[in-house]
This record gives sequence, structure tokens and C-alpha cells, in this order.
Amino acid sequence: MATEERTETREYVVCKEEELPPGAMKLVPIGKYGVGVFNVNGAYHAITNFCPHEGGPLCKGRLGGQTEVDSEAPGGAVLTRVGEFIFCPWHQWGFELATGTTSVKPEWSIRTYPVKVVNGEVVVTR
Amino acid sequence: MSDKQRIIDASVHMFFRKGGEIRDFMSEPYKSRGIPDVEMDWYGAPGGEYDADIVKRSEGGYPSSDPSLVSEHLFGEQGVDIAILHPMTRGNLPDRHLTNAVLSAHNKMLVERWLEKGNSHKKFRGTIRVNPEDPKAAIQEIERWKDHPYVVQVGVPLQSREPFGKPQFFPLWEAAANYGLPVAVHIETGTGVDFAPTPSGHPRTYPQYVTFMALNYLYHLMNMIAEGVFEALPNLKFVWADGGGDELTPFIWRMDTFGRPHLEQTPWAPKIPSAYLPGHVSFIYGKLDGPTSDKEEMVAPWTTLTGKENMFMYGSSYPHWNVSTPDDIQSGLSDEQRQKVLWKNAAELYKLELAAPVPS
Repeated sequence: MATEERTETREYVVCKEEELPPGAMKLVPIGKYGVGVFNVNGAYHAITNFCPHEGGPLCKGRLGGQTEVDSEAPGGAVLTRVGEFIFCPWHQWGFELATGTTSVKPEWSIRTYPVKVVNGEVVVTR
Repeated sequence: MSDKQRIIDASVHMFFRKGGEIRDFMSEPYKSRGIPDVEMDWYGAPGGEYDADIVKRSEGGYPSSDPSLVSEHLFGEQGVDIAILHPMTRGNLPDRHLTNAVLSAHNKMLVERWLEKGNSHKKFRGTIRVNPEDPKAAIQEIERWKDHPYVVQVGVPLQSREPFGKPQFFPLWEAAANYGLPVAVHIETGTGVDFAPTPSGHPRTYPQYVTFMALNYLYHLMNMIAEGVFEALPNLKFVWADGGGDELTPFIWRMDTFGRPHLEQTPWAPKIPSAYLPGHVSFIYGKLDGPTSDKEEMVAPWTTLTGKENMFMYGSSYPHWNVSTPDDIQSGLSDEQRQKVLWKNAAELYKLELAAPVPS
């Protein structure tokens, strides 16, 4: 998909709003690895397509949630915040899309980028 | 240097005077039952189970069955300050009640003969053997002995039909943690109702057996980490008491690689797996562990990796064929590592206060 450089402040038009519905991702050729822009239940988030663990293509992974202990639930755990996390296809390391953090190795958090909608277009700022 | 090197031998194996003597420490209905010998073992070492010199010097008695002879060998000749004793027993028997009675007999012999009568020098500490296949009885056995001043840990066999992270074992680990007793896991001398010693089944020869067997420590350990046992029991300490610590690093590398999905399926253990090692895990260190002698320059860096220098404790495995003297295990270690391995790590784990160094 073509992108164009919008201004000198390095804003990139990703696509029209309706082309990125909830649960979808667009990969934008920004920087060395590209940036994935996600619509998570109506909120937009953007992260580098590079996993800090071993360098896998993070944005090509699956979306998932967070497993939490709940001793009352069958199996003793529940899945919460479904779709708010991305799991790398290489070793399944998971990151919160909104913040780029991972709970077990915080020093391996990933870079996030601001996303906004301008005149019906999704715009990511680098 | 005029100060004597302090040494804690954290793994000394001990036995009854002779095979049948166990019955003197038992009562009916178990005393007259069929009990396998301590040497009932499919993988006998080719040159004999025990060090030939120790056998010769045991004056016809079973090796490591006489506290005064063992005292002479370890404290007199090797300069050991304190020895941690592990009774070697008969394996996981099909009748768990009989196993409990057999272990109780070993504990009675350990306490009466070694920790009391034979301990005027106060250098022996003991491991109370319990049966993880019967956690309720195991906890009763711990409670019988836990307040003895020279009982310092609980012992279980490495051989098991389930990995130790499974929930049926949890009450036993919880009790040990609550009573401040580390749990030592040691290869049982007797063969019981066990799984194959390697993941690929039963090897044919002793060298294959002994090479692979210690890997089972890591399978138990990794299972316990994944199941959140150390997260739930911050005071629990495990001693993998027969070597294999040199193999920890590559295994924990692999487990950390899948650290985040590990959390996805086991939120009960929210830290990266290697974070559960410090303060929870120790390995006995003997001459079978570590890089081969032609790679001596690798010993210190390999011992540093994964913080193993804080986990290794010297253990002789006396009187077995692979007995390691304090001198046997020091090559290649840095000065700091040598002190940690020879006594500091064990002194901290078992809360042992060593007498001030004696000028020689």
C-alpha cells in the first residue's frame, strides 16, 4: 500500500479510516523494519515491526489477551483484555500494543508511535 | 596462609551397618515384610559402587556405616568442618506404607547413631528422608524430627512418577518451607517403581545411565518454575543433591526464550523463569560436573553464567566410586568461587556457624 510523507514533522498517512477496522493491522514502510498500525477496539496503536527478543517480525504475529489468575474460574485463570496484546511469531513473546511493555522483561519494551485521525485518514507520527 | 580452609561437605551418603540391620529399627507389621536391598540397582558402576580405598578401610563393615570411621576420614583427613548426611534407601516401593516405614527406620538410625551418639564433635548434620508419594505421611515424618538441632533438611528421591511441580506434592513443599528446611533431591540407590531414567527409555550401560540421570533434576526444576511453586512459596529452597548443575545454563536459556508465553499459560509464575533460581535453588558440585579437564579455562566463566557460583555447594558423594575430595573440585574456579563452593553457600543455606579458622 502506498504512503506519502504528509509534512516535515514526519507524519505518514496510513490509510482511510474505514480501511482499518477493529482487529486489523496495516504495515507501513517507516524506518528500517516498518511500523504496524493497529485498531484495537476503536483505539489506534502503532509499534515497530521488530521484536527486541530475537528480532522477529512482531507485527505479523497473532493478537491475544492477558491471562490472569482467578481461583474462582474453571481452570483457575481467565483471559482478559482480548486483542490488546501482540505475540511475536518467532518465540511468542507478547507486548501490550498501547504501551509496548511486557510484564516479564520490562527492559525489552518496544517503541510505540502516536496515531491520530485527520479528515478521515489514519495518520502515524514518527 | 595460616588460616585453615573451611569446608562443608554438603553430600555424604550413609547406610546401615549391614543390609538386614534395617529390621532392628522397624516394628511389625513392616519389620518382617519383603524389603529390597539398598544395592538393588540395575546400573551398578563397573568397578563397584564404592570407592575401593574406602571399602578397604571400612574394616569389613558397610562403607559409610560407622560414624567414627567417617569422622576420621572426612574431618580428620579431608579437613571437612561440617558434613551433611543423606541416608541412601530402597526406592519407591509399590506399597507406600512400607516405603514410609523403611524411611522412618533410616531416619531413626540417622538421628540416634549419627546425630546423637556419634556426634560429640557436633560436625554431623542430617537429612530426614520422606516419601513424596504420600505427602500426608511425609509431613508427619518431618514434624517428628524438625525440631532436632542437627536435622537441617528434608530428602526425597530424584526418581518420581510425576514432576515435582504437580499439585499433589505442594503440601509437602509448603510444610518444608514453613519449617525452614531445604528439600534435597538425590538419586535413590535402590530401584523402585520408577519411570525410565532417560527421556528415551532405559539405556544399556552405566555410563549412559549416570550421564543422563542428573538431567532429571532439571526436568523437575523447570516444571516447578512453570507451575509457580517458587512464586507461591518464597521461602522454599531446593537442593539438587547429586550434580548436574553444570547443565542448568542451556536449559534455563531455553526456558527464558519462551518466557512470555510461559506467562500466557501459567500466570501463577509471572517472572521470567531464571528469576526463580536465586535464593531457591542449589546444586551439589562434584568432580563429574563442569567442563572437562582440557577446558579448565572455561570452568570459572561457566560457573559464573546463570549465577551458578551462588548455587554450587561442594559435596563429596562419600563413599561412592565418584567420591570427590575438596582438592578434586577446585581446579579452574576463581578464589571467590572456591570459597562460595567449598563452604559459604552451604553455610548460608543451612545457617551453619563455623568456628573461627584454626591456625595451622
